[in-house]
Amino acid sequence: MHAFGFAAARTLPEALRLAAPDSAFLAGGTTLVDLMKLDVLTPDRVVDINRLPLRGIRSTRDGLRIGALERMSDVARHPAVHPVIAEALAQSASPQLRTMASIGGNLLQRTRCGYFRDVHTPCNRRQPGSGCPARTGDNRTHAVLGTSDACVATHPSDLAVALVALDASVRLVSHAGERLVRLAAFYRLPGDTPQVENDLRPGELITEVVVPRRPWARHSTYVKVRDRSSYEFALASAAVALDMRGGVIHEARVAAGGVGTVPWRLPAVEAALRGRPPTRASFEEAAASAADGARPLTENAFKVTLLKRTIVRALMSLEGGS
Amino acid sequence: MTDRVDGRLKVTGAATYAADNRLDRLAYGYLVTSTVARGTIVSMDTAAASKAPGVLAVYTPFDPLKLYRYTKEQNDELTPPLQDKNVRYFGQAIGLVVAETFEQARDAASLIQVRYDARPAAASFHDGLASATDPPSGSPISEVLAPGVGSIDDALNASEITVSATYTASMQNHNAMEPHPTVAAWDGDHLTLYTATQGVMLVVARIAEALGIDTSKIHVRNPYVGGGFGNKWGIWAHTPLTAAAARALGRPVKTALTREQTFTVVGHRPASQQTVSLGAARDGTLKAIKNDGVSSKSASNGFYEPVANLCLSMYASPNIRVSRKIVTLDVPVTTIMRAPQEANGSFALESAVDELAVKLGMDPLELRRKNDSPVVPSSGLPWSSKHLDECYRIGAERFGWSRRRPTPGAVTDGDWLVGLGMATATYGASRAQASVKVRLLAGGTAVVSGTGADLGTGQSTVWAILAAESLGIPVGRIRPDLGDSSSPVAANAGGSGSTSTNGPAVQLATEAAKTAMIALAVQDERSPFHGKAADSVRFEDGRLKAGDLSVPFGSLLTSLDVPGVEATATSAKNGDKTHGFRSFGAHFCEVRVNAWTGEPRVSRWLTVLDAGRIVNEKTARNQIIGGVVMGIGHALLEETRLEPATGRIANADLASYLVPVNADIPRIDVHFLDYPDTLLSPLGARGIGEFGIVGAAGAVANAIYNATGKRVRDLPITLEKLLT
Repeated sequence: MHAFGFAAARTLPEALRLAAPDSAFLAGGTTLVDLMKLDVLTPDRVVDINRLPLRGIRSTRDGLRIGALERMSDVARHPAVHPVIAEALAQSASPQLRTMASIGGNLLQRTRCGYFRDVHTPCNRRQPGSGCPARTGDNRTHAVLGTSDACVATHPSDLAVALVALDASVRLVSHAGERLVRLAAFYRLPGDTPQVENDLRPGELITEVVVPRRPWARHSTYVKVRDRSSYEFALASAAVALDMRGGVIHEARVAAGGVGTVPWRLPAVEAALRGRPPTRASFEEAAASAADGARPLTENAFKVTLLKRTIVRALMSLEGGS
Repeated sequence: MTDRVDGRLKVTGAATYAADNRLDRLAYGYLVTSTVARGTIVSMDTAAASKAPGVLAVYTPFDPLKLYRYTKEQNDELTPPLQDKNVRYFGQAIGLVVAETFEQARDAASLIQVRYDARPAAASFHDGLASATDPPSGSPISEVLAPGVGSIDDALNASEITVSATYTASMQNHNAMEPHPTVAAWDGDHLTLYTATQGVMLVVARIAEALGIDTSKIHVRNPYVGGGFGNKWGIWAHTPLTAAAARALGRPVKTALTREQTFTVVGHRPASQQTVSLGAARDGTLKAIKNDGVSSKSASNGFYEPVANLCLSMYASPNIRVSRKIVTLDVPVTTIMRAPQEANGSFALESAVDELAVKLGMDPLELRRKNDSPVVPSSGLPWSSKHLDECYRIGAERFGWSRRRPTPGAVTDGDWLVGLGMATATYGASRAQASVKVRLLAGGTAVVSGTGADLGTGQSTVWAILAAESLGIPVGRIRPDLGDSSSPVAANAGGSGSTSTNGPAVQLATEAAKTAMIALAVQDERSPFHGKAADSVRFEDGRLKAGDLSVPFGSLLTSLDVPGVEATATSAKNGDKTHGFRSFGAHFCEVRVNAWTGEPRVSRWLTVLDAGRIVNEKTARNQIIGGVVMGIGHALLEETRLEPATGRIANADLASYLVPVNADIPRIDVHFLDYPDTLLSPLGARGIGEFGIVGAAGAVANAIYNATGKRVRDLPITLEKLLT
């Protein structure tokens, strides 16, 4: 762990003023401190933002607004929160971590790729141009969608999958002002620049998450498939929401986790569900395209099948398909 | 049912584990480990590290601490650290930085630049199987053939029904909760070591040799151990280095391994493969058992798992042949891990028996009962005390085995396929020599001391119970004193031998202390028992009694102004060559497999076993539950992922090396039969440390087959193996 300066901000302007190019904001610290201990992150200054008033979970005309410093556990049990979000959170990490980790931090958590986390190995995401051992090395848990020759690391967040399914946005604030960015557009595919993970600009801070108002989206669920029952990342997960009208699917939202380099929205699956009855056949037909474009690696080809089955399982559990 | 005597100390943090010894002027060591798997270290640039804040010393093969060669392995390696420039595996100790604080030592270590002349490493067990060799010592084959049978293959060919399949299991790491720390402090030429170990005498022997000092100058103390599982038997690189550094620097040094380092510096369970063939008559009577076992072995040492051996001790068969081969790899040291050979051995054999039952169309429990052997199958010696059939019968009743549907996939619960499986549990028993001292104190308490270790097993509680029983005083008035090398030499914690070996010694020593107390009472002029014949005085309920006289021993000592009376006794090793000694039991489990996504989850568990006398059911149950939980991990989760190309362990942390969490474990029912094995010792207790894990993975695999019809022969059984 490298030496760093520490400052605690009381207000948003103070936090933005304290931020510098090599600084990091500290909320729950569950990713940042971990990666600092591993020398993966070496900020010169850590700015504690926990005293900022970025709190509150409110249903408004614009939709559900969640302050960036709300803790995962508090959001998970709030009645205004959609089932798909609550379930994604409840199945994340461990109770201890959920009690510490913030919503903003969750969306910015870094990949669990073992090469990214080990500074003795090359990693294009950590050290651009150094190479990617995961493509031929230990890659059972890696991504099959959205990968590039430079990077195949899986995006680890469950929450982000649920939020991407619901068209959520993040509010970003910096000296330059404030902007609202759709979460789906916020995350960047690795391409040739895997070190650029998102649209966050230097010194910019996530202040809240906004989930658009859409009452039918309460008919939603999150299915997470993993090696053990708790405290483990997804091998595949599915966030689904269905707008049922007159016994057919009027509108659908489907996103997948554990399989992509970013939270993976599946518009083709959604389109294939529209106008169909909620049957196993409809679900399986729609899910058939879920892994289109997948590039399996040496140890994770099973994710192609697993992804489709996970989506069907999620749709079946939501709609009890016949 | 006695609570752990050290339970309160442990849960309140008052128990002093090795790393908790904060000595005056303590300096901190941090190991530097290799980042190639094989080759030579060309150079180590330590300039920046040496100048880093707080650094006291940087030791490398270019500037080593002198350590002498080891003359024998203790389930570890022969080569002392830093004495040569060879790299034999990824993660090998190649340097030690000592600084004023742990953080300074760690930071300085990260500044050291190492250049290697790297050579290609053999790190793939799978690739090495084709060129497996005979083990370095011992016979590669054990065989029993019925008269007139030419070979095991003849016996198999003559069998009406045969099954044959190959089973594999991955390398595993122990991951005890307490990583390995050593604190070393010198006073002149006398060394005190606080170090996590399964046996303080193992440390004394190795350190005397490595540092070239007399054993009488070494004092090792380790009263509490945060788990061992075999991993704290060996004496690993940091221990002699820390002792030597403390001597060189003239101040105490503490080196604690990081979790990541415990994946490479301290050894692992080898990978294994077994090809099992069973031949049977149509009624299920076994005619032939053949198991060709292969184990990985580190090029750095001699330990491997003779995985096939269990077949010699399990089921009745006139013809049995097991073989042993090894694949030598450039990987960290292979060592003992909970039930070495039996944990993996039973997975293969118990799966194969299940496969045979399927082929015979027979209930797998009935097949096992039919082949239950009253004698050791390979030698014909009778078992000392075997009640396996009762375990099967009680287990089947309690678990509801008769409700099992033999057809795979016949039972579903929503999206889950539900299957039942069972397997035989077993572990060998032994009694070695042990000495224990009991000291009766004037306060009416007693201290029981010996060099044994309590790894969290309940061994201290067992000592307290046995002494209390014999003295007739409450358990709370006994203080067990384990893990101190100045005590009489008792058994190290390994091979499930602590209670069976140390228990009889505690009983003998307590009796001897009572005799000594009576002798004092009749000899001392101030004693009310003075002048009585020793055999007229009884020691009962913590009191000395003769006629109307009845005095608590503590009061008597106080009145005589004597602080205490002590006696040491030695219990001999088991000399019975006419019996086989082994525990048997049965696991029953229910496993659910998701019909869509394939993940297996254990939902019900019962283990019924006979381990001889159970001294304390509470801690014994805990031991069996721990073994079963580890067995469930063995079956479904645990896997050290070694990169074949680099020899690097890709999941060297507890976030990616998966062990079960509470949510993975159902209520585990444990039922003991409690038949004292009086041929093993008057105490009648066999061991229970390893018993619970043996058979557990087989039971899970068999339940998965019953749920899905899929026979997975490769551990761990992760969901992709069930997806197709």
